[in-house]
Amino acid sequence: MTMIEVCEVVKADVLVKGEGCQKTVLHVMASDLMSDVLLVDEDDMLLLTSLASDQVLRTAQIVGAVGVIVVNGKPLPSSMVNVANDLRMTLATSKFSKYDACVAIHAALGPT
Amino acid sequence: MSAAPQTHATAATLGGTDPAGGHEPLVLLELIQRLKVRDVMTTKLTTVSRAAPLRQVQELMRKKKISGVPVEESGRFFGLVSIDDIIRALGGGYIEDACSRHMTTKLVVLEDDMPLSFALRYFDRYHYGRFPVLNRDQRLVGIICQRDINRALLVELTRELHRLESSSAKNAEQDGTASIYVLREFPICKYDFENAGKAANQIKQLLQEKKFPPKIIRRIAVAAYELEINLCVHSDGGVLSWQISNGRAEIIARDAGPGIEDVEWACRDGTSTANEWIRSLGFGAGMGLVNVKRVSDEFEITSKKGSGTTVKSVIYTDVAEQG
Repeated sequence: MTMIEVCEVVKADVLVKGEGCQKTVLHVMASDLMSDVLLVDEDDMLLLTSLASDQVLRTAQIVGAVGVIVVNGKPLPSSMVNVANDLRMTLATSKFSKYDACVAIHAALGPT
Repeated sequence: MSAAPQTHATAATLGGTDPAGGHEPLVLLELIQRLKVRDVMTTKLTTVSRAAPLRQVQELMRKKKISGVPVEESGRFFGLVSIDDIIRALGGGYIEDACSRHMTTKLVVLEDDMPLSFALRYFDRYHYGRFPVLNRDQRLVGIICQRDINRALLVELTRELHRLESSSAKNAEQDGTASIYVLREFPICKYDFENAGKAANQIKQLLQEKKFPPKIIRRIAVAAYELEINLCVHSDGGVLSWQISNGRAEIIARDAGPGIEDVEWACRDGTSTANEWIRSLGFGAGMGLVNVKRVSDEFEITSKKGSGTTVKSVIYTDVAEQG
């Protein structure tokens, strides 16, 4: 399932279509702690977070994530869209809670 | 006077002290040793015979914009009429006299197979504007002035630069990423969360452009990012520097304070001095230094409470070294 298809699953608004938007999502990480995200070595990861800051995108770029979905319908600072464009990182926002988003994506991806 | 000029320059002095004083770049030193006087001198000479009047020399100087004219017949060198000789002739009222009567014969000359370094030393020692150049048979073959030297060095340095550039490009093609050399420094300000992470993002983009292996890129980027965030969050500000050369990436975070009291404690999992605000931004879990250590092949930290902290992370970029 591609990043864009995952966005449809959680009814997310895609604000920036980056380089990874058509990539297949191989892993999903849900976290508000960027320190934890930096410990993950998985490729082509989708980051689900309720943290709305530029650092989320910078962290996602560092670990090579395919994109970021900010959950809980959090309003995003305008700088996030600019940073996402600069880093060519896919950025989306969803009204789903982090838990519901995880459940929906897990169901859509099927058993691994 | 028609006596042959005295030659002061001899090959015996070639082995003397370093004309450049040992401060020039090696390429320049090598050039001034390799180039011979004959490579630099002007060979299209304006000369006069011994019988030519000084007035004729004065006219030649004016027309050709030169300040010295050798006196020569069939290659045999007799002397030089300088602008000083002309001024004296005008003042003394003998400008119509033949050159042979008033030319300078006590001259320092150079030989055409001497290295350029020798000529440079003679310009420095004698403060003359030019030196006549003779060949082994004591025939006049050229004249050399400092402008000739400057022009020749510029041409040769440009050639050398092109050679180095093409050889460097060829090595890069042959050795892949091993021969790439990059050095960057980023100043990091305390609590500047707006910009924190930009340096690491740039580092990653550059590594991707240079086509380093993705796993190596991730490790370097993580180390740089963690160290950058640490500088922003924990220090009073500092500098993140990184370089890649000889198959290794070196990332150094250096700050001027406040220092770490117990370095061992700071490097343990989960230990952090971060406040709630920093935690609310997603950092301060106490995993930063642990993570840097995890991705590094070499890791060093030095710190003292009240002074600065330096953290160095080295990551081998040669895939063969990854085991």
